Parts: sequence; structure tokens; C-alpha cells
Amino acid sequence: MNNLIIEKTHSTPGIVFDTETGVLEIKGESFPENVPKFYGPVIEWIKDFLNSTDKEIVFNFEISYFNSSSSKILMNIFDYLEQQVSEGKNISVIWRCDHENESAVECGYEFKEDLDLLPFVVEIY
Amino acid sequence: MDLSLYSLYNDFKSKKILLCYSGPISQTSVEGVGNTLRRNLEIEEAGNITSISVFSIFVEQVQNIINYSAESINHEEDMDNELRVGVIVIGKEENDNYFVYCGNKVYNRDIARITSLIKSIQQLNKDELKALYKERRRIEPDPGSKGAGLGLIEMGRRAAKPLGYSFEEIDGDYSFFSLKVEVGR
Repeated sequence: MNNLIIEKTHSTPGIVFDTETGVLEIKGESFPENVPKFYGPVIEWIKDFLNSTDKEIVFNFEISYFNSSSSKILMNIFDYLEQQVSEGKNISVIWRCDHENESAVECGYEFKEDLDLLPFVVEIY
Repeated sequence: MDLSLYSLYNDFKSKKILLCYSGPISQTSVEGVGNTLRRNLEIEEAGNITSISVFSIFVEQVQNIINYSAESINHEEDMDNELRVGVIVIGKEENDNYFVYCGNKVYNRDIARITSLIKSIQQLNKDELKALYKERRRIEPDPGSKGAGLGLIEMGRRAAKPLGYSFEEIDGDYSFFSLKVEVGR
């Protein structure tokens, strides 16, 4: 399966999903006009990859700002990952944020509060 | 002299308006004007939370105009590239709080739905808004709604006081909707 690499833009994060290392990175800001259009192919790739492997997978999220519709799709992704964990997959999420970006820190904890099984670490640097 | 914007400019200045955008709006406006707004807030040393709140409310308001304004400009053969029309004003209150103000035409038939949504948000405290936000982001959006329906709740969470709004009737089909959100410094 091919790696997924998407360059970041003013309103969409950069994506580097590496099948070899199992490290999937999403970094930048997220406020696209059409959220499903951007995230649809990303979610399809994640589903295909998880169906093809049992290796350990680490998601690195470093999103300094996201709009409300991105928030909804991120929650959808975390819910899907949680379901995969309940089916035995080895997945964890690291939510990285700058200590000066209190809003991103709070958002990380708000996602964490809504998840039970998915290992979700808020890493403040 | 007729050809002068000086009185308009002075009017904006005296009302402590930092920025005003009126007319057709696209995602490019969100990114470009948004970037200028953030630099402006940085120069004013508005503080991280204040800056991100003002920027965030700006994004939600402009994207609401793009998704919901009842006034659009398009070619009949190219409906996908239509532009929606609205107005955005960002400025400061006497007490130095920021305000983010937007306006656009809406259909009269939508007034009751928008009003009840805003009224329900006005009544909630920050913890209740957080709970509503988390509940709504897990619910599938209404059919026909391009946004997630979360934008107004997001604005309510970041606001220093309850959302202000009004509707002014234009004719039998349309009214003008104004929404004002104040952000503490």
C-alpha cells in the first residue's frame, strides 16, 4: 500500500502517513470550506491501511487550530479508531500542542474525555 | 467632494473598527483576511486565547455566510462556483473587548429555527455549552446542512457575554440577520 502524503495549505493540515513505520502524522491548521472533501480520502486511506495490517500504529496529531466542522470529523476519526482498538488493533494517539496554545491543549483534553479504550495522550511541549 | 471615502473611514475609526469586509465572500477571503486579522491581533498583543477566539469566531461567521447566506452571485451554468454575500466587522468595544459582527440575508422561513438555536445557546453557562458542543459533534448533521451546526455553539463558548442578534425584515421572502459576539481581553 502506498504512503499518503498531502502538502499542508493555509486551511488544511499536512499529512504524512508512513505504512513502513506505522506512524501517521497530521500537522497544521484545519478550517477547509468543505471538510468531507478534504478528510474523505484521508479516512478511506486509514480504513484501508487498518484493514491490511496488525502492526502497532501511532497517530501524531499536531493541530494548532481547527474549526467546528473539523472538530466533528476528528471526533468521527477517533470514534472509528476506538472501535478498531475494541476489535484488537494496537493503535494510539498523541495529541501534541504548544504550551502557549491553551486552546489546543483544552481541545486535546476534550477529545480525551470522550474516549474510553483508545490510548490518547496529550503531549504539551 | 463626492469622490471620497474619508467620512466612511472616519466613521469606522471613531467606532474602533479594525477591519470591515462587505460583499461576495469565498474561502480565499477566510484565509487571506483571517491571516491579516491574526497579524493585527499579534501586533496589538491581544494574548493567545483572545487572538484565537477572535480568529475562530471570524472563521465560523464567514463560513456561515458561505454556507447559509440567502444572497448569492452565480452563473446559471456554474452553480458550484457561486459566491455568497455578507458583511463582517471586527472592532473594539469601549471597554477594549473585541467584537466580531456579521450580517447576511436569510430566508424568512429560517428565522424561527435560527432564533430558537441562538436563544437556547444564550441560556447556557460555559459548562453546559461544552456538554452541548460535545453532544452535537457526535450527532450526524441535518440533511441539507453544509456545516456541522456547531458553529454557533463554538461562538457561544468563546464569547464574553451572550450572543447578540437581530432580524430586520427586507420583504416577504427575506430578512437581514445580524450576529454580534464579544470576546474578552
